[in-house]
Amino acid sequence: MRKIKPFWIVGAVGILLVLVVPIVYFWPRPVEAKTQDPWSFVPAHATHTDHANIVSGEFATGSDVTRACLDCHAEAADQVMHTTHFTWQSEPFTVPGRDGPVTIGKANQINNFCISAQGNQKRCMTCHAGYNWQEDQPYDFSNPENVDCLVCHADTNLYAKGSYGDPAEGVDLLAAARSVRAPNRENCGSCHFNGGGGDNVKHGDLAQGLNFPPSDLDVHMGANDFVCTDCHTTSDHNIKGRLVADNYVVDPKEQVACTDCHAANLHADERINAHVQTVACQTCHVPAVALDEPTKVSWDWSTAGQDLPEDHFTYLRIKGTFVYEKNVVPQYLWYNGSLSYRYLLGDKIDPNGVTVMDMPAGNIEDPTAKIFPFKLHVAMQPYDTVNNYLLAPITAGDGGYWTTFDWNSAFTLAEPITGLDYSGQYGFAETWMYWPSTHMVQPAASALQCNDCHSADGRIDWKALGYPGDPMVWGGRFQRK
Amino acid sequence: MMKRLQNLKFHTWGIAGGVLLAALALGLGIRLASAGRLTVQEAQISPLHPTFALLDTDGANVLESGSPVSTMKTCGKCHDTAFIASHSFHVDLGMSDIQAGNSDAGRWDPLTYRYLLPPAGSRSGAADWLRQNTDRVVGGGPGAVAQLVEMDCFLCHTPNPNNAARVEALAAGEFGMANTATLFGTGIVAVGEDGMLAWNTAAFDADGELLADYVAIQAPANDNCAQCHGLVHTGSDPLVVTSCSLDNPQTAVTGQVISGDKISESGVNLSGKSALARPWDIHAERGLACVDCHYSLNNPIAYQESAATKPEGLVFDPRRLDFGEYLKYPDHNFARGESAQYNVAPELKGTMRRCESCHDAQAIHADWLPYIDTHMSTVACETCHIPQMYAPAIQAYDWTVLTLDDTAASSCRGVEGIGGSVTDLVTGFQPVLMMRKNVDGDTLIAPYNLITTWYWIYDDAQGNTRPVRLVDLEAVYFAGGQYASKIMDAFDYDGDGALSETELRIDTADKQALIAARLAALGLGNPRIVGEIQPYSINHNVAGAGYAISACRACHADGSRLSQSMQLADYVPGGVTPEFVDDTNVTASGTVYQSGAALYYQPDPAADKLYIFGYSRYGWVDWLGGLFFLGTLVGVVGHGTLRYILARRRGKPTVETKPVYMYEAYERFWHWLQTSAIVVLLLTGLIIHRPDLFGGLSFRGLVVIHNVLAALLAINALLSIFWHFISGEIQQYIPHPYGFIDQAIVQAKYYIQGVFRHEPHPFNKTKDRKFNPLQKITYLGLLAVLFPLQGITGILMWGAQQWPQYAKFLGGLPVLAAFHTLVAWLFATFIIGHVYLTTTGGPKALDSIKAMVTGWEDVEVHEAVETPQKKK
Repeated sequence: MRKIKPFWIVGAVGILLVLVVPIVYFWPRPVEAKTQDPWSFVPAHATHTDHANIVSGEFATGSDVTRACLDCHAEAADQVMHTTHFTWQSEPFTVPGRDGPVTIGKANQINNFCISAQGNQKRCMTCHAGYNWQEDQPYDFSNPENVDCLVCHADTNLYAKGSYGDPAEGVDLLAAARSVRAPNRENCGSCHFNGGGGDNVKHGDLAQGLNFPPSDLDVHMGANDFVCTDCHTTSDHNIKGRLVADNYVVDPKEQVACTDCHAANLHADERINAHVQTVACQTCHVPAVALDEPTKVSWDWSTAGQDLPEDHFTYLRIKGTFVYEKNVVPQYLWYNGSLSYRYLLGDKIDPNGVTVMDMPAGNIEDPTAKIFPFKLHVAMQPYDTVNNYLLAPITAGDGGYWTTFDWNSAFTLAEPITGLDYSGQYGFAETWMYWPSTHMVQPAASALQCNDCHSADGRIDWKALGYPGDPMVWGGRFQRK
Repeated sequence: MMKRLQNLKFHTWGIAGGVLLAALALGLGIRLASAGRLTVQEAQISPLHPTFALLDTDGANVLESGSPVSTMKTCGKCHDTAFIASHSFHVDLGMSDIQAGNSDAGRWDPLTYRYLLPPAGSRSGAADWLRQNTDRVVGGGPGAVAQLVEMDCFLCHTPNPNNAARVEALAAGEFGMANTATLFGTGIVAVGEDGMLAWNTAAFDADGELLADYVAIQAPANDNCAQCHGLVHTGSDPLVVTSCSLDNPQTAVTGQVISGDKISESGVNLSGKSALARPWDIHAERGLACVDCHYSLNNPIAYQESAATKPEGLVFDPRRLDFGEYLKYPDHNFARGESAQYNVAPELKGTMRRCESCHDAQAIHADWLPYIDTHMSTVACETCHIPQMYAPAIQAYDWTVLTLDDTAASSCRGVEGIGGSVTDLVTGFQPVLMMRKNVDGDTLIAPYNLITTWYWIYDDAQGNTRPVRLVDLEAVYFAGGQYASKIMDAFDYDGDGALSETELRIDTADKQALIAARLAALGLGNPRIVGEIQPYSINHNVAGAGYAISACRACHADGSRLSQSMQLADYVPGGVTPEFVDDTNVTASGTVYQSGAALYYQPDPAADKLYIFGYSRYGWVDWLGGLFFLGTLVGVVGHGTLRYILARRRGKPTVETKPVYMYEAYERFWHWLQTSAIVVLLLTGLIIHRPDLFGGLSFRGLVVIHNVLAALLAINALLSIFWHFISGEIQQYIPHPYGFIDQAIVQAKYYIQGVFRHEPHPFNKTKDRKFNPLQKITYLGLLAVLFPLQGITGILMWGAQQWPQYAKFLGGLPVLAAFHTLVAWLFATFIIGHVYLTTTGGPKALDSIKAMVTGWEDVEVHEAVETPQKKK
């Protein structure tokens, strides 16, 4: 009898198993859970050590603060000094079609907004992660004390940069130094949201609205309160994520990709998944940029200097005529992550045609290229009509155009700095610059849908992309109809 | 060297981006101002259509004659326009059917308040008719209209036809000008300052042929169809809806809007809009055009043979019209669906591409939808994939009264507000589900909007019943452009000198009598109100999977989608209950009922012979079953209480017992497995039967548990039967006929009397003879009757997925499910009795249950009434 008792328990368990196992086996499961959990790739935010009671001392200059930082973070400055945030110039690399290795960066190249930082350090260096870079003296890139720790780490309410990248007048450096912590959106945004000289001017997808973003401005920063470094992950002060404009060829390892966290084929719809090999995530999920603040879409330098009514969005005497637009629908180009061409100072232009300053690389035959959205900025900017190259005027610097409104002196002043001869003759030529649209990401509910591209009034010019016609009816580049 | 290389570099990237840049560089001049936007594709120029001369009716070039263009002559140069006109229900408008007597003398259309009569044969009769029906006529017919206006090819085959100018010309009686007016605004022709036609010679080449840039001939685009049919929206401006305007008839009667735009991005003031990130119509979003499904019936690309006539096994018949032949003789009868109305060309109903022509519904739903065959053969795709309409639709037209703008008092469903304003709050509406009989004989539940109309009829001198003419109605209501004073006296309750919406309705006998009297005074015999309900089928505005109905509970619960009622009207004019029109393919098996002032239609799935798990049930089954169950419960509680009281009075029984190994391990395992399965089956069955009483449980999951356990139960039963046969234990269940009734009476007496007195059991319980006579008969009944019945009905209900014919043979789900429920009640009843009777088995109440657990039972030692059987 005593042996029987455990036996019926075995029986009961047996019965339970007989009942439960088949139920579990037949239990309805959700159809193929393909998605990985993107949250598992998002870094956890460590609580930053409060420096309020750690930092002490009298700080007269930014470099004083840096010295204090280096007392504990000895290797930090050295790390920063190897990043483009400090060098403003890429490592030299060889590019097909050019004689020697080239470098690209704000330090030596031009764009089609304010054109050139060279010679204009007084203003431009407010976004340099260092101190005291002046146009008339060589800058010591190897001096750790030149590194500005505060611009990325201090509370942006307590710190700002002024001329030549030095702390702005009246900044309480001790208070700023005591406020340091991991960079937040406002730190990055203090420069990146103001590219081109104002809120959202340059990028279109990076605006001050992202400091405190509503959920519909960007699904990551808004709806999910991401900070920049959640995606632009950082090691040794080297921040991941760069696209064209200030680079020529980008190592894919350096790029931030949606697929760092999201599975590529996560869409429930087979048709949409089939798009992934040809269409970048951004194409559908960044349907438009400049969602809250308008962005500059054209800048005509040729009208500068005139006595016209001034307005930030239409005309400034120092800069010329602008067009700003909101809800800008991007241009769609093939893009494999690199540039096929980047204008370098001294490159010849055809003044009667359009000079594309940065041509995204890729075409329909390039399987690594995808259709990608770009904000296009069109400018009329000065060039040397004799030498047929674009000119980099001194604008903000002493005696620059913004003071004298004399182009000739602005170009002449620049000669020794850029090393480009000025013939004395200038004109204005049309230039285009493409800015990849990759922020202001929208969730599925606000993403593009079929007819946004595949319809008579769709937003993509198929023939320009190399298709015989709409691939919905003509077949795609990988699946022929 | 450097320069050379750089040039080379330019060259290289120039080629790489060459195609692109060439295109980009085209519109350089305007680019700065337009912020570098790429120009969108140019207005489509026909890639292949040759240039041609515009000819007048005499065949002369219009540039020479200055006359209006003749489409029959111009297009007829290459296409057989006579063939086209004679093969087009758009031209015929169904009138030949009427003339052939296939339809009544022209349908009465209570929405437009006129008869859809064919035009008179005479030229002047046709002209009157044409002036009245301008916006519904494409020309070329019907009948004598062909002599007045040619079929207007431009209306459907050019991108921006000027329909307004065309309608204006027709209304003005300038019939010959109508088709030419369609081209106003294209730059080809205009009305000159002298009022004469002015053909723009710059649009023509030296030979008098249209320049290629002006030849924008195309297959009809959605916008072309929209001109007459309903709201179509393309382009970037936000979509707005004018509530219930008959200018967009399809949209007005059904709420259907053809647009690929997301509803959330429309300009409609729609409640809950932000959550509707789905297109109005998924097919429009995915680039389908009207003509993709409603194609020309001899179009060699689109034509598909109907499944009914196609030989089995033939997937595709490649024998098609030659393209040239098709272009010469394009059939302008278009494939069409199965609208509820008689409409034009009923013989073409069901010819179009329907959902299943493109989608494999079985495959799409295979991974989650149970009873696919049942669902697909009962439920039209639209039912789940058009869950809700997001534009208003007409609810009722009350022509028993007239508003000051000479129309019916009407109401619109799915909208709140003053009506007709873009600020009205649109709420949308759920279509009502009704049975549609397809031309192929299938009967499916499909979504509809119901429009109810009331109007006065009278008997004319010939004894025919006719709707009261509008002029008579006007004479009754109006005097000098205002309501007649008698009308104001009777209707204007608040005396404010105007009739509000609630005043202008015939809601009292007095008002009704007044209008009837005034109609009679006009000489109309026996004027009275009739009401009719017209269903309008809803087939567009399809939602993709994410927005379709997919929750089982939507239908399989109380308040099932299939039983959802629809409001017909806010009030009932003259108290006249409207009736469904009878010439539709829709079965209105539900009831029309009034609740408060408002009138509703309540579908009745049971009347359509539908049994919907979780929704359908028969009251009497549950009452009867419940009665068994409760009766037994009351019985055992009473019996047990009595035993308990008597036992306390008499003290513990002193019976000599001895332990006997009564149940083999397998018997116990078998028994308890059966027990657990049955209990869980009863519980899950109850929840499936009444999901409304058990919120929050997964209907789907419960069905899975129920099915799996039923299978286990069946396997267990089969194995145990096998064991019973092998071991010979089966004999224990077979009552021996001889003396059985006497023995049963003895046992019954024991339960009625002996058990209270602690008398010994009348029959000895031994391992070989466990059951008393009553147990034998009960278990036999259980095993031989209830189990098989429940098993068979259950298997057939489950099997209706695979072999519906067997279920159908036994009356289908309505019979099987009712039976299954009743037997379930009997099982529950059995359990009550069975569990209770175990307490009578031994000296102590739980002895028998313990025995079934351990196998050992304490049995009484006493003289047996019957000699024990010999041990084997």
